[in-house]
Amino acid sequence: MSLAARYRCPACGADALVAITPELLREAAEKGAVRALARCPRGHAAVLTIDQYGYIRSALPVREPARPDCEITDRAPMSVRAKLETILEKGPVTDADALLLEKAKAAGWVICL
Amino acid sequence: MKAFIDNWGLFLLTRELAEMLGGVRGLKLFMQYEQYKLAAAVQAAIECGADCRRPPNDVVALLFDVARRREVLREGCRVVPVQEPKKPPPQITVEYFQMIDDIVLDKICEYVAKSPSDVISEEEALAYYQMLVSAPFYVMFRRAIYDRLAKLYKYSAILDVGAGTQDPLDILAVCEVRGARCEVTALEVDQRLCADLEWLASKHGFNVVCGWEQLQSGYDIAVVQNVLHWATDPLQVLTAARGHAQRMFLSQGVVEGAGIAFVMTKILGAVRAMSWREAEAFTRQAGWRLVRRYAKYPDYLALYR
Repeated sequence: MSLAARYRCPACGADALVAITPELLREAAEKGAVRALARCPRGHAAVLTIDQYGYIRSALPVREPARPDCEITDRAPMSVRAKLETILEKGPVTDADALLLEKAKAAGWVICL
Repeated sequence: MKAFIDNWGLFLLTRELAEMLGGVRGLKLFMQYEQYKLAAAVQAAIECGADCRRPPNDVVALLFDVARRREVLREGCRVVPVQEPKKPPPQITVEYFQMIDDIVLDKICEYVAKSPSDVISEEEALAYYQMLVSAPFYVMFRRAIYDRLAKLYKYSAILDVGAGTQDPLDILAVCEVRGARCEVTALEVDQRLCADLEWLASKHGFNVVCGWEQLQSGYDIAVVQNVLHWATDPLQVLTAARGHAQRMFLSQGVVEGAGIAFVMTKILGAVRAMSWREAEAFTRQAGWRLVRRYAKYPDYLALYR
């Protein structure tokens, strides 16, 4: 049997639930706390720190993975370059970044394998 | 004094604007850069063969019109020289001025010879558009007017007309900060943006309607933010909004006091440049009654019923 704990998504503020399984509680009791990955209803990933009582001590946002398979082409204008470099290096932090990356691909400013 | 009376609502945003640009010095620097870029663009257009009395197309005509209003272009096609400011522009506007360089200044000779659509492809225009609407200074400006002037957090059913890909997120952010539960419906007629909106809606929990035909009535307020200059028929947009909402908050960049950004949006596909009187005339003609006018220019900001 597992319980659910409520947390606030650190990316969008939405209320979200995570299942607290007996295994998780056991591991937390052994180690003092345990980390778990969860997603809010809007799809944002977060790393939760859960204690032995099933309380969520912290919820930290997870950045989407970087895109090492993409590169910026010579056609990309100067004004967008720095932004695109950051997005490719760290992954799109916001939805606006993700949309910009898609548009930049369509415009031929970024090529992905 | 006249500028203060005309634009009193903008002074309510002094704190937000000062924070954004780094105080009065930042605002002054921003305006100096605007003037400098405008003068440089006009000078380049004339050197590339554009006649200021007979501009070759709408983009160059608008550039000259804005320059005349800002007293950068004088009688006899004389350009008033403007020195480049010694200090860099406010941090939040660096990307914006780079965009001005990329879209306007670097290609000005091509605009003199060709139509903008032959210079910047549709895909590039969409990418620039995404960059522009999500630029930090623009996001901060929109959130400030939605919070301090429109007070959107007071309404439960909000219709975002011509939403684009950033506006609904800003409205939701304002409601969230104020702890209000707003139901936002984003209306978009551009099919290319609709798919993006639907993706955003699935993550952020707002509604999307693609086309007026699908839209239901009964909204507390319609938000029309910088939409009219993209519309082929602004009156139709305002009339349709009247049929679906009880109130309307109109925010529209107008040609009075406009800077080079106006030319940039024209290049990216905006249909017309509008004066504040035109914006107001269209709105009254659509049957809206003015409740409060916050500013006339460079952004016309008003609440209607």
